[in-house]
Amino acid sequence: MIAAMWWTAEQGYMQWHKWLGAGLIGLLVYRLVWGIVGPRTARLHTLIPRPSALIEYLKSLRSLQYRRSFGHSPLGGLAVLALLGLLWVQTGTGLFSVDVNGLASGWFGHWISFDLGRSMADIHEQVFDLLLAMIGLHLLAIAGYAIFLRTNLVTAMITGKQDGGTASESDWDVKAPVARVMIALILAACSIAGTIWMGR
Amino acid sequence: MPITKTFALGAAAVLFLAACGSGTEPSDPSAGSETLDNGMTVRAQIEARQDGYKTIGRNFKTINDQLKTSAPDLTEIQAAAAAMVEASAGMVDWYPAGTGPESGVKTEALAVIWEEPEDFTLKVSEYDTALGALQTATTSGDFDAITAVARATGSTCGACHDKYRLDD
Repeated sequence: MIAAMWWTAEQGYMQWHKWLGAGLIGLLVYRLVWGIVGPRTARLHTLIPRPSALIEYLKSLRSLQYRRSFGHSPLGGLAVLALLGLLWVQTGTGLFSVDVNGLASGWFGHWISFDLGRSMADIHEQVFDLLLAMIGLHLLAIAGYAIFLRTNLVTAMITGKQDGGTASESDWDVKAPVARVMIALILAACSIAGTIWMGR
Repeated sequence: MPITKTFALGAAAVLFLAACGSGTEPSDPSAGSETLDNGMTVRAQIEARQDGYKTIGRNFKTINDQLKTSAPDLTEIQAAAAAMVEASAGMVDWYPAGTGPESGVKTEALAVIWEEPEDFTLKVSEYDTALGALQTATTSGDFDAITAVARATGSTCGACHDKYRLDD
C-alpha cells in the first residue's frame, strides 16, 4: 500500500494516489476503532508504556534476558503508536496538499488556499521520509528479534497469536467478537465514502 | 561491543540518515547581493520570480477549484485567468545568468535552465500559448472546454517543472 502510494505520487498518477489515500483512511479508521473496541492487546491505551516498564524492558534487551511479553512489548507499543501517528499525519496532510502546478490537489484541497496547500505538501513530503525511517526501523527490529532473541514477531502480527506468552490468555480480553469487527468495518467504510463524497 | 549494542547503533544510524535526507540545504542569508543588469539584486530577482509563480499557482488553483464545482463561477474564472496572464508576463526574463542554484540563494531552479536555454524558452512559450488559449476559452461559458484547456495548460507547467525545477 505504502509502496503503491509512493509509486503513484512519483509517476504523477494523482487520481490513483487519491483513491489509494481514501483506502488508507479506511484502514486507519479501522485501526483506530479497533484500538478502542478491539481486544485488549490492540487497544491504544495499552500501547503507552509505563516509563519504568520501558526502562526495565530496555535493560532486559541489552542483557539478552528477553522474556516475551503478552501483546506488544513496551518498546513495540511505542513503535506502533509512532507508525500510526505518522500515517495519520501523512494521510491528513495529503488530504489538503496542493501540487506545485495548482492543478491537482488532495480530496479537501479546495477548502484551503494555494499557499497553505503547498505547506501541507511540504510536510507531506518530509513526513514520508520519517515514515520510511520508521518502517526501516520496524523491519530491522523484526530481524533483530529473530536473530538475537530467536523470536518470531511476524506470525503474532498477522494472527494475533504467539507461543510462550508469559501471561495467561484467560486473564485478558483477547476475543474479536463479530459485532465489534462489524462496527470497525462500517465506520471505516463510512470514512472512505465521506472523504470521497465531501472531497473533489 | 555487545551484539545488541551494535544493532541499536545500526538502528540509530538509520534514523539519523533519514533525518539528514529530509532536511533542506541551509541557504546563506548574505548571498545574492550582486546587482544584475536589470538593476535588481540576484536575491530580489529570485524572490520576485518565486512570488510570480505563487500568484500564478494561486489563481490557477482558483480556476481548477471552480471547475470542479457543480456550478462554476465564470466571473471568478475570468478574473483568475487574467491575473495569471498578468503575473506570467516576461517569464522568460526571470532567469538572468547568475540567478541559479550557484547564487547561494534558496531556489528550486536547476542549472539546466541555463545549459539548455533554447528548450527552456520553447517550454515557456508553450505555456504562454496554452495560457492565452485558456483566457480565450474563459470568454465562453463552456466549462467542459475550459476544463480541457486548463488541463493542457497545467501540463505545460508540469513540463517545465519536471525538467527545470528541483524535484520534490
